Amino acid sequence: MAVAIGSGDALLRVRDLGVAFAGQGAPVTAVNNASFELHAGEVLGIVGESGSGKSVTLRAIMGLLPATASITGSVRFDGQEILGMDPESLRQMRGRSLSMIFQNPSSHLDPLMTIGRQVAEPLLQHEKMRPAKARESAIKILGEVRIDRPEQRAANYPHQLSGGMKQRAMIASAIACRPRLLLADEPTTALDVTVQAHILALLADLNRSRGLSMVLVSHDLAVIAQVCDRVVVMKDGEVVEQGAAGKLVTTPQHPYTQRLIESQPGRLAAVAAAPTVAITDSPLLEIRNLGVQFRLPRTGLLRPKALLKAVDDVSIGLQRGETLGIVGESGSGKSTVARAIMGLETPAQGDVLLDGRSIRAGRLAGQPDFRRRIQMAFQNPFDSLNPRFTVRQTIVEPLRKHRLVPADRFDARVAELMALVELDPRLADRKPGQLSGGQCQRVGIARALAMEPEILIADEITSALDVTIQAQIIELLNRLRSQTGLSIIFISHDLALVRSFCHRVAVFEAGRVVEAGNVEKVLSEPQHPYTQTLIASVPEL
Amino acid sequence: MTRAYWLLQRLTQLLPVLLGISVICFALLQMIPGDPARIILGSRASPEAVAAMRDRLGLDQPALQQYLTYMSKVIRGDFGESISYKVPVSKLILEHAPVTGFLAVYVIALAVPIALILGMLAARYRGTWVDHLIRMLSVLGMTMPVFWLAILMLRLFSIDLGWFPVSGYGQGFLGHLHHLFLPAVSISIWMIPVLVRNLRASIVQQSVADYVLAGRAKGLTERHIFTHHILKNASLPTLNLFGVLVAYLIGGTVIVELVYALPGLGLLMFNAILGRDYPIIQGLTLFYALATVVITLVTDILSGLIDPRVKA
Repeated sequence: MAVAIGSGDALLRVRDLGVAFAGQGAPVTAVNNASFELHAGEVLGIVGESGSGKSVTLRAIMGLLPATASITGSVRFDGQEILGMDPESLRQMRGRSLSMIFQNPSSHLDPLMTIGRQVAEPLLQHEKMRPAKARESAIKILGEVRIDRPEQRAANYPHQLSGGMKQRAMIASAIACRPRLLLADEPTTALDVTVQAHILALLADLNRSRGLSMVLVSHDLAVIAQVCDRVVVMKDGEVVEQGAAGKLVTTPQHPYTQRLIESQPGRLAAVAAAPTVAITDSPLLEIRNLGVQFRLPRTGLLRPKALLKAVDDVSIGLQRGETLGIVGESGSGKSTVARAIMGLETPAQGDVLLDGRSIRAGRLAGQPDFRRRIQMAFQNPFDSLNPRFTVRQTIVEPLRKHRLVPADRFDARVAELMALVELDPRLADRKPGQLSGGQCQRVGIARALAMEPEILIADEITSALDVTIQAQIIELLNRLRSQTGLSIIFISHDLALVRSFCHRVAVFEAGRVVEAGNVEKVLSEPQHPYTQTLIASVPEL
Repeated sequence: MTRAYWLLQRLTQLLPVLLGISVICFALLQMIPGDPARIILGSRASPEAVAAMRDRLGLDQPALQQYLTYMSKVIRGDFGESISYKVPVSKLILEHAPVTGFLAVYVIALAVPIALILGMLAARYRGTWVDHLIRMLSVLGMTMPVFWLAILMLRLFSIDLGWFPVSGYGQGFLGHLHHLFLPAVSISIWMIPVLVRNLRASIVQQSVADYVLAGRAKGLTERHIFTHHILKNASLPTLNLFGVLVAYLIGGTVIVELVYALPGLGLLMFNAILGRDYPIIQGLTLFYALATVVITLVTDILSGLIDPRVKA
């Protein structure tokens, strides 16, 4: 990793790169005047939020932009100008001299072709290897990216592999022809944090052992800071700052970089002043020995249908005014718990008590309003809103259905709720397609608050948002709980976020709570090995 | 999941379908309004003849008993006896099936290669005059009624030009090819556009898939990406549509068989309906249903061979 910067010629030199897309009306500028360089053996990070032009920059380097893009400036790889190069010469460089991996390994692998063949493809194409030899090499490379039992895995199809395995396979196919430069576009964003740690370690190892230079693009500054020598910060298509990773993080110069660092979940200062909560014996919501099971399809004629214990013997309580964090990786059962509390899943065992009364029995005993008292906000801000409803219609719907306010007060109440979540009242007649992700999430929260709930279940509500927007939403929730005494169940995969926002935390693994307690105590002195792994996997600034 | 188990599972799923089909075919005869025996024999039949027919059809027994008798006969290949031809229905079906079968295979052999080529061309040259021309021809082919086209072609190529025979099935393989050419073309002209439009749409959809971009990033040639990745993925929806079309084709040749006087199943069905030959109608309905089931199963197995996720 230690490379004398500025010595000799750069492997990759990007000068005044500009990319604009022709559309209806004026062309849209995606990248403007971007300049940076990368030396052989170096790992360069490009960090930025959605729409900053970081992915477009990578694609411009690879010559993978559609014909509608007009590209200006200069991209020199190993002294050769890439922009304007004829397509055939460029194709011969791709996969052999420079290569690229992508965010979502599931969609970037062909579902109908075995992993082994997809890794062998560039070898067949560029090195004209015989199929048997290419297959052998592919298995060797799969081993090098630390896929266990590579001979067997080579014969597997993508759907038979886990997300992390698929990403390894994609890396294997990108480095099969031993390129000098690897461009990685958000390579760990779709992965769990422990898997992310493994993939980042693998990339760092490839950099060291093979001298593979890398450009790593990510929205996550902590990831970038962990593996990169130098960092380029992009915003709205422009490079706003660049420099050595350590220096950029400790002494950021540009205001945007400063804001980016302040927005990091571990550094959210506003939240430290959360109201304290007394732990009582009679919690507002009590989850008692909850178990939820799913039936898996039969795998053989005589084999019984297997049961998946999505949630297994979980007991936690939520105090009035408390914020309880639920952390875990995908498939750990954290969303299933939320669905069980909402009455959307029927528990196989155990119970959920609201104010000491069972939610299950309560529904039968004429307590239909438990749904009103517990409301939920969802992960994907666009998908959880009806695209045909305006903001007003979305918020009015629960008011009307539950007859919460008389019809003539709808508009006033909508205005109140929009003000509560800090939405501009002029947005009331817009539809989700005309709103940003952060605005949509605010609408989702306003809709939940329309029911005047005592408990808000927030299921990964910030994971689809940019980090600066995430900081705003967290600030909003913080203000809401101080003002209204709202109790929150905050489900997240982000330990740093939970640490800065929650009172207590429950760590989920494979449907069980492995550790629970005061957030500071659990996260600074984790007792359970899984919690320790989880914490060790989180990249820090 | 193993391939054998998957296949077994598919076959077990067919059992209720087959049972349903048999009940419906059985009920066809039961649902004839009035006394089936009298309707079959006509209004001038003597009471003795009607009684004899009732006895032969087993109409005096309870419905369940009748169904079981019917089923045990069907399983042994006995579909009853035709009223007008006085021969077993199964014999009639076996005599007429080759004509329809030959016609169906002929249509497939004509339509599939042409549809593949046109679909690929339309997708490859999307938005150019090639695409527009193929689309225009497709709309024309789809909207033209098959019977009208059949009559038109018969008139031009058989009567005026004398290139093809006016009717019949012909002798030997070449004879069949010659005799069935116009009928096969008439059906293909309707079938090709349906396949072309489906294939074009699914190629266009697949060519913006992420794995295509990843293939380009690996430096694969456009030709390789198309033949090894896009085409295979795009063929799946079209294959399923094709299965439905073939199943429809087996039962849908009646109009063409009528116009070209082909002694196929369609003509047999047509005459049976006119002559109220209920055993033939019943037998053919069962045969068509079974053919549909078999074709659907074959389509499923084929997509399972292409797509490993089907068995997941």
